[in-house]
Amino acid sequence: MITPPDPRIDDLRQRLRSLGYLEAGVDRFVLSGAAHTGGPLAFAARASARVGLLGGALLGPAGALGLGARLPGLVSGPRDAAVLSIYLAVFFFVAVSAAAFAAGAIAASVAPRADGRFAARARRLSSAAGILAAACLGYLTLWWRNANAGFGWSAPVWTAFALLVAVTISLLLGHAVRIATLGVLATSAGPSAAIPPVTSLSWPLSIGIGLFAFAGAAVLLIISAPSASGAAPPALTVVSTGTRVRLIALDGFDMASYLNSEQGASRFSSAMHGAALLHVQDTGDPARAWTTVATGVPPERHGVRGIQARRVAGVRGILSRGSGDMAELLGAATDVLRLTRPGLTSREERRVKTFWEAASAAGLRTAVVNWWATWPAAGSAIVVSDRAMVRLERGGALDAEIAPASLYEDLRRAWPAIRQRAEKTAAEAFPYVGDARMRAALQRSAALDVTVLEILRALPGPPRDLDVVYLPGLDIAQHALLASDAPGSPAASALTARIAAIGAYYEFLQQLVEPLLAEGGDVMTIVLTQPGRVATPTDGHLAALGSPGQPAPRATGSALDVAPTLLYALGMPLSRELPGAPLQDLFTSPFVQRHAARYVSTYGAPANGPAAREGKPLDQEMIDRLRSLGYVK
Amino acid sequence: MSGVPAFFAEYQDRVHAELRHLLREDGEEVERAMAYTTLAPSKQVRAVLALLCAELCRGQAERAVPAAAAIEMVHAASLILDDLPSMDDAPLRRGRRANHLAFGEAVAILAAFGLLNLAYGEIARAYEPAVASRITGLLSDAVGPAGLIGGQALDLRAVDQQISFETLERIHRGKTGALFVAAAAAGAITAGAAAEPVAALAAYAKNLGLAFQIIDDLLDVAGDPALTGKVVRADARKTTFVSFSGVDGARQLAAELCQTADRSLAPFGARADRLRELSAFVAARRL
Repeated sequence: MITPPDPRIDDLRQRLRSLGYLEAGVDRFVLSGAAHTGGPLAFAARASARVGLLGGALLGPAGALGLGARLPGLVSGPRDAAVLSIYLAVFFFVAVSAAAFAAGAIAASVAPRADGRFAARARRLSSAAGILAAACLGYLTLWWRNANAGFGWSAPVWTAFALLVAVTISLLLGHAVRIATLGVLATSAGPSAAIPPVTSLSWPLSIGIGLFAFAGAAVLLIISAPSASGAAPPALTVVSTGTRVRLIALDGFDMASYLNSEQGASRFSSAMHGAALLHVQDTGDPARAWTTVATGVPPERHGVRGIQARRVAGVRGILSRGSGDMAELLGAATDVLRLTRPGLTSREERRVKTFWEAASAAGLRTAVVNWWATWPAAGSAIVVSDRAMVRLERGGALDAEIAPASLYEDLRRAWPAIRQRAEKTAAEAFPYVGDARMRAALQRSAALDVTVLEILRALPGPPRDLDVVYLPGLDIAQHALLASDAPGSPAASALTARIAAIGAYYEFLQQLVEPLLAEGGDVMTIVLTQPGRVATPTDGHLAALGSPGQPAPRATGSALDVAPTLLYALGMPLSRELPGAPLQDLFTSPFVQRHAARYVSTYGAPANGPAAREGKPLDQEMIDRLRSLGYVK
Repeated sequence: MSGVPAFFAEYQDRVHAELRHLLREDGEEVERAMAYTTLAPSKQVRAVLALLCAELCRGQAERAVPAAAAIEMVHAASLILDDLPSMDDAPLRRGRRANHLAFGEAVAILAAFGLLNLAYGEIARAYEPAVASRITGLLSDAVGPAGLIGGQALDLRAVDQQISFETLERIHRGKTGALFVAAAAAGAITAGAAAEPVAALAAYAKNLGLAFQIIDDLLDVAGDPALTGKVVRADARKTTFVSFSGVDGARQLAAELCQTADRSLAPFGARADRLRELSAFVAARRL
């Protein structure tokens, strides 16, 4: 039989507690490690280390979650999250320990030794700390509402929840610091001092509060992470235009140079003469610029800021510099600690779908070859990423360089023939360039461009609705011949020879692309040019060949219009999140009349499905390659 | 468990030897009166507590013996005064006639003052000035208005009156708890312990002291005079812990206080097992 509780006993128990009984008088977690330690500073050090452990265990994982949510690409999986948690736990351990030690040491130096005002001063210190904490919480409230103003989490209920979590963490750590500080005060003041009562906080209670705080922080950080849209993407319905689209992207193209080197009439020539103008292009970084083209949104939204990134030791994801104060701070901190090594930007940093991903999501067959920031490739659509050629050269297990993974074996088998054709074509390409070094630079670029196009040709399967290929050769050749770190200007004759060599490359490129432009039928080829890595930003061009394309020399647009134009040609509805619009002047009037632009609210966030990452990452090989091509210094 | 733990004997012997060295059973009347109560058979819980705390803080029990003896003398002095007709007027103490009945009231008062002064002198002579100063400070607090004297003064006013629970606690804290805390802290200080272990042991002693007093109240209601050495129902005119909680409630709270005391020993690990035995003894004692 269970005896009902006696209310008298409960009452007496409470009264005893208020009188200082039924309290063990020692915080076992914070202080037990400091037992038998002589001197206030030694005591402070040991007790602070315990408080630091609490802070590290609590804030490390929460911080990793927060960084993962705010810095896309940094956390590529549970392993990265775990490694990052450990780094941050160490950081917070050091920071919290230092803060707790400082609090204890300052208190010990300020408090008089064993005089009657000991308790009074301790209470005043506590009051001051309370005022400071209240001020911090006020600031936190304002910061939270401001930082999340765009994400809908500044509503009072979420602000209150965020504050509750913050208060809980603060109380837990503050309590621990307080206990440690009082312990230090007691050590320095002696046992006769009237030490304010310390509530016993046992392990279960600490763990309980800690779990609540951690869970709350995790929920907040995950839910409040910036996203392109909170709404589920609507179903994408394609109204077929009967057109297959092939996009040839040429980097480093300068219209004036091309016109100077133009060799008679050709499809390419007529396409360029009828190209629409894309106003001043981003020439700062090719990865950023071409991702802007691919997504149809500016870098602030798509998240890819540059080729170079930092890789934190032990983390497979990357830290992209230039993507905000938090990334800069983290990058600087890890650089100082020598915890970072150079890395390259990746698809995981991108927060917005590319036009080929949107088309693939709508059920169209797509393929993309050699576009920037396409590694790691994932999904069922064909992606031969910017790392694929290095993988095909070196062999070995796939590290998501190609998707679907089954395509890798096909390309591996075709690779020797591809390389042979590329090298042969390049070797025969520039017979009139006399300077051997200049010829070698051109041949290297030519081999690269030929390889990319040969890969495109080697892709198996039925005809696709959208082929996308990026040819970097012209930009690489131009950069190799014209860019110089040497002081002074090159001699005019040398400059003339280099410009002539670049003219030769334009001629080669025209011949290389011409067969693709000759394909008729239902294929519309779109040639897109960007000025490449030049000091003075200039314009790009967009030309359409084949039905339903038409010349539009007076049409103008921007890089943001490329994705809508391509999607429009495919009969895709356009996302209202895209700031650009289709350049309808590039299409014949009947086509435009038949196919009015349709819109959907969003394409949704890019899918981050599992990538086939079994092989050794090619980070260093890619860095070496890009360095040799002048992309990375 | 009703008897003292077995290890008590070793510590009691050391303290008893020191007290026999300090007190003269064959001296003048006042000296005999001092020895009469102090050397009477007793548990010497406070003195043993001091020695255990010294050992727990990695000190030598031998070094803590003067402090333990001093505390035992202070305790004996308080008992002599407590039994006086002007106070509790108790006829029996430690299985013997009360001091004032054996030697007369005047001699008993002098014996009590003699014990107090001997205690302070013992500490002053046994320890270096810094330690002696700290321990005498502790004893002074334990004996003074915030300790034994203050508790006794409140206790006297409480006879035949209904007092509040808080007042009862102040009485118990002064009359019992203060000397328990002083004993634990003094033992640790003789071992050169830092403040944190001293604070933990003080918390242990505070909870243990109140538990001890609650059990005392219980024994007053239902104890065996042959075992306790005191008259049963001597406190019938007073409000005791049992008045507030009943017999079962008092025993339950005493057990909880002993459990809390044990939690204070967590930093010391298994080395504090003897103190845990002591608290277990207090919770279950019958004498």
